[in-house]
Amino acid sequence: MLFLIAWRNLWRHPARSLAIIASVALGVWAGAFIISLYYGMGNERVRIAIEQEVSHLQVHHPKFREDHDVAFNFDLDSMDAVLRNTPGLKAFSLRTICHGMLANVTGSNGVQINGVEPEAENATRGLKSFVINGAYFEAGKKNQVLVGKKLADKMKLAPGGKIVLTFQDIEQNITSGAFRIAGIYETANAPLDELNVYVRRDDFNNLLNTPGRGTEAAVLLSGEAELPAALAALRQRLPGLEVEDWRAVSPETALVMTSLDITSVIIIAIILLALAFGIINTMLMAVLERTREIGMLMAVGMTKTRLFGMVVLETLLLTLVGCPVGFTLAWAVNTWLSKTGIDVTAFAGNVMKGFGYGAVIYPDLPDDKVWLILRIVFVTALVASVFPAWKALKLRPAEAIRR
Amino acid sequence: MPVIDVHNVSKIYNPETIPVYAVNNVHLHLERGEFTALVGPSGSGKTTLLNIIGGLDAPTEGQVVINGTDITRLTPNQLIQFRLHNIGFVFQSFNLIPVLTARENVEFIMLLQGAPKAERERRVNELMAAVGLSDKMDVRPAQLSGGQQQRVAVARALASKPQFILADEPTANLDSHSATNLLDMMAQLNRDEGMTFIFSTHDARVIERARRVITLVDGSIASDTASVDVAAGHK
Repeated sequence: MLFLIAWRNLWRHPARSLAIIASVALGVWAGAFIISLYYGMGNERVRIAIEQEVSHLQVHHPKFREDHDVAFNFDLDSMDAVLRNTPGLKAFSLRTICHGMLANVTGSNGVQINGVEPEAENATRGLKSFVINGAYFEAGKKNQVLVGKKLADKMKLAPGGKIVLTFQDIEQNITSGAFRIAGIYETANAPLDELNVYVRRDDFNNLLNTPGRGTEAAVLLSGEAELPAALAALRQRLPGLEVEDWRAVSPETALVMTSLDITSVIIIAIILLALAFGIINTMLMAVLERTREIGMLMAVGMTKTRLFGMVVLETLLLTLVGCPVGFTLAWAVNTWLSKTGIDVTAFAGNVMKGFGYGAVIYPDLPDDKVWLILRIVFVTALVASVFPAWKALKLRPAEAIRR
Repeated sequence: MPVIDVHNVSKIYNPETIPVYAVNNVHLHLERGEFTALVGPSGSGKTTLLNIIGGLDAPTEGQVVINGTDITRLTPNQLIQFRLHNIGFVFQSFNLIPVLTARENVEFIMLLQGAPKAERERRVNELMAAVGLSDKMDVRPAQLSGGQQQRVAVARALASKPQFILADEPTANLDSHSATNLLDMMAQLNRDEGMTFIFSTHDARVIERARRVITLVDGSIASDTASVDVAAGHK
């Protein structure tokens, strides 16, 4: 019957209760929407990182990533054979990577030179689709290079133009090669576009004096679900080499997702903290205007525990009734936006690219975040009920009845 | 053996500054089956004494022994349980729970006592019939007249099977007809079922029906008159 009393008490002042219920619903929706927006951005960042930057897995000599020295390499044929015979891999690209200097008549810029096999690279990270000017490695032409748009803009580079790449070969000799620009590419990550240039691996290996050798194998899988099995299989098949997933290769990307969890709690907590004061105010009014009734309940034998429980129950109902409304609203908006996306190109496109995010956000609300919001709402209601319930307990029945 | 034994009870407000004696050294015994009125002018201490007897207020001095239990020595939780199982209350302003129906208001006390559902239903039906409101079971208090609400309050007070009922100005908010009906019903319950009623009142209609009238003046008992004397006094 306590539940019945609490529920009916809610509707003594329908307008007042509905105002709080609507506030909670809007708060839940706002929280859910902001979280889904963040997760949408986070998912997009991870997708871009995997599909356009680091792939699901990378294989290197254990010392290669310390300073990108081409001396730490592996045999390309052996690696190719192992990867071809490992089930579950969608595509892979074997690269030779070295840091160097790009120079033209305008000036010079530090770059990471990626020696790639064009077809494999395109299959692994769709590099061809990002070419916005010129061509993606013309057949039969040697010493071609792809440069990123940001670098091209900075150094006034254009397809057909010549540049010189300078780097250290395997014997630590300073070596230079003249390359003609085949095309300009642009990905969602402008800083990486400025840093990375792409040449044919064979051309690069000839200059490095590392024929048949590579320094990085990037592996694309069908999805995240295949990652643990593929990681385990490659670690077993490639002893002596370091096999890492995208989280290890790109810890800053992994950090984005980790920080989203913390951010989610903080956002919801802030929204509900503001709501908590409204809830406390409403419940305090409800308790104070029922002083005589509460006095009577205590007089006839209602224990303090039950009285406390009644006020807490009433607060929980008042708060939790708004949740389904908020979640339904969030679900409806998210379903719509997850199809159309939110295009922020007009006002934040360049900023988003500057940090490696896509300009179209597809909101995503993970199931565990729904439960997180529900838990925080529940705790907020509990906390908000303590003060009004305490006020009720402080009433003295003999005085309360006569008010 | 008296059902209620009040030993030298005083209630003093501001005892260390300007002491005000709301109840001053009251000593009285109330027997089972009494139909007693505490009367006196406003501020004479009758409600305070009623609250002390009902365990709603603690005396500054003295003891209140009900069926051998000194309720002034009980902890707050023990006192709540004692009230729940031993004392029925009827208040001046009815004080029904507005969001519950008449039936639910009566049943509520038995729920607090932990009575099984079948017993609750049987007793609610009995009590609502006894107060003449069997046809108003599923009506909320706001849809009942003052007299009907007070009848539901009496049914609620009886629901816990109390030792006695304390009624604080039960007729104060009722019209003459409703007050007479209510008093008739209470008198019948007293006569037929031996239920003890103790009223705090200055309503002449209640005083007329009471078989014992205790008059308080400035917190002290000025007179304690039995029914024969009361009747004689009114003739």
